[in-house]
Amino acid sequence: MRILIVEDELKTGDYLKQGLCEAGFNVTLARNGLDGFHLAMTEPFALLILDVMLPDVSGLRIVQSIREAGNMTPVLFLSALDTVDDRVRGLELGADDYLVKPFAFNELLARARTLLRRGASQPAVQRLQISDLVLDLGKRQAQRQGKKIALTQKEFALLELLMRREGEVLPRSLIASQIWDMNFDSDTNVIDVAIRRLRGKIDDDFSQKLIHTVRGMGYKIEAPLADDSQ
Amino acid sequence: MTPNNSSPNTQSSSNSATAHQKKTRPPMSLASRVMLFVAVAVFVCSVALGSLLQSAIKEHFAEQDAEELQVVADSVRKILQNNNISNEQLPSALALAVVGHHGVYFQVSANTQTLYQSPGSDLAWLLTQVMPQQAVDAEALASWQSGDKTFRGTVIQGPAQSKIAVATEIDFHLHFLHHFNDALWLTVAGSVVLTLFAAWLGVRQGLAPLKQFSDNITQVRADRLQLQLDPATSPDELRDLVHAFNQMMSRLEHSFQQLSNFSADIAHELRTPLTNMITQTQVSLGKDRSAEQYRDLLYSNLEEQERLAAMVSDMLWLAKTDHGLIKPAFKPLNLRTEIQVVFDFFESLAEDKQLKLQLSGDVPPLPGDKDMLRRAFSNLLSNAIRHASTHSIISAELSYAAVGGFKITLSNYGDAIAPAHLANLFDRFYRVDPSRQRQGEGAGLGLAIVKSIVELHGGTIAALSEPVASDAVAANTVEHISRPDPALISFVIAISPSSALVQNH
Repeated sequence: MRILIVEDELKTGDYLKQGLCEAGFNVTLARNGLDGFHLAMTEPFALLILDVMLPDVSGLRIVQSIREAGNMTPVLFLSALDTVDDRVRGLELGADDYLVKPFAFNELLARARTLLRRGASQPAVQRLQISDLVLDLGKRQAQRQGKKIALTQKEFALLELLMRREGEVLPRSLIASQIWDMNFDSDTNVIDVAIRRLRGKIDDDFSQKLIHTVRGMGYKIEAPLADDSQ
Repeated sequence: MTPNNSSPNTQSSSNSATAHQKKTRPPMSLASRVMLFVAVAVFVCSVALGSLLQSAIKEHFAEQDAEELQVVADSVRKILQNNNISNEQLPSALALAVVGHHGVYFQVSANTQTLYQSPGSDLAWLLTQVMPQQAVDAEALASWQSGDKTFRGTVIQGPAQSKIAVATEIDFHLHFLHHFNDALWLTVAGSVVLTLFAAWLGVRQGLAPLKQFSDNITQVRADRLQLQLDPATSPDELRDLVHAFNQMMSRLEHSFQQLSNFSADIAHELRTPLTNMITQTQVSLGKDRSAEQYRDLLYSNLEEQERLAAMVSDMLWLAKTDHGLIKPAFKPLNLRTEIQVVFDFFESLAEDKQLKLQLSGDVPPLPGDKDMLRRAFSNLLSNAIRHASTHSIISAELSYAAVGGFKITLSNYGDAIAPAHLANLFDRFYRVDPSRQRQGEGAGLGLAIVKSIVELHGGTIAALSEPVASDAVAANTVEHISRPDPALISFVIAISPSSALVQNH
């Protein structure tokens, strides 16, 4: 999937490009607003990541222009500003999401994936499965190796979130926002405790661990590679 | 305090904007204003007084003249009535009538025939032109000039169709009046000048304390804000100003102190993670290491960096609320629901510490910003969980405040907080124990953010620390834990829906 990044700050642009490339995207980087606008208008991209404050043409202008031209590519704004007005203006002009600098890269990655997924219609799955862990969404039941596991509502929602985004590292802030509707950075370790409890039910009794902590970034659920299992 | 005292700033700015200067001329100096008013008042008063004196003296002279003329007229009349005096004797008898009256003349006529005329004056025109009167009236005296002399006189009805014209020389009076006038106007002018000088001196003297203030104020610098003016040495009129100035200085000093403490705190908070990163990185680079070790270093750095980023975000958020850049999106909110949501979020963490979360009471929906209020409750609850005695109960209570509006009280059992610390808990980076490093907690901005959010909603927040008996703690804890100084720590948010609505518009 092709992603266009328009970012004038050299280091930020380079690392965003590198990070997204390594996450498996095909990334084009424009270093100023005009180039970015030109690229966005002439080439097909699955997602645009725009810096709001660019030296020549602001991100807001770019999004306005491409929307007026009928281009509906999802847009994610990056900004050092964070006023409600700014956010509202960006979203009104047709941006789909907004991230305030400094942000965690995995937060950006998670949001980018959400935006990319939005376009594709999600199959209405009834069952999620990773290795021997099965989540029955209809009956709201979890089973591992055929054994039923009793989960609270929140634990079930958390497990569902992890499993729907298998292999993706989910930052704590994203988990707090998706499961508890807490849309701010909290300095507490609530998420760590919640994950630990979930692990206690899902992983502790089994030799094969599915929930992984990615240090400094968040959590993911992933079946171990075949050669990795002991 | 005179116009030429204007500061160099105003001069330079007026040079750059000469077009503007005409419209905004500096106001008249205080001394000029006072002097102008005093001059007008003194001048008007002196002129009035002078005119009054002048007319009084003139009138007095006229009366004096009239009296004298009356005496002469009476004696003339008496002689005319005296039948013992023959017509031949009459002139010599009449000549005696003005003996002792210097400068008084008279002329007697009967049926247009002059009976007598005192030497040195011809009053025939007076006899023909003025209606004869019974007595001399000071206000009805005619005055005229004859030769180089000035006279004043009238005509009196004599016996048997005779008319007596009497006149007196008034050069003497006029001379006096002339001198009097000169002296009078000289005095008026002198007093105006003297008063003006006195007024100028008074204003100058009166404003001297201001000059003193201004000298003192020029000494104010960021590091010398403790300057206080002495109200005892200033005049009554300036005492209010001195008090206001002193209060302003105190407030400034307090704010400045806070600001500089804040900067020091930021520096301190930044130093720790920076030192960690630098030291770790330097040590790691000291020799070749395995990829695993490098990864560890990066992770460790990442943790510190995230701490820094979170701190910067919080500081930015606070700075923005300080400048009114963050506007809450008000919507009617059920506070009980919001607190319940936050309680659910923290449930696992609380259970981990074996704490019980209890929510009681209810209030009608209030306009509020959902995310902000959740953040505030979350910070408060996180703080409560961090400091609560294990096995105790953390309770949130919604209630109607006695003074109107509503109250949200979040309490936990924990160590008592000294009163000196309570008010400062909401200060940025405030530590109850400065020597203690923060471990796994925020940068110390959580409660400051709570306060900002509450204030954005038009509310107030206060912290209380009430000592409780150990058995009371025991009654409220699942399991008795003895603490040296048990207390019920409460955060009370008072909010009235009207104030929140006012903020909304």
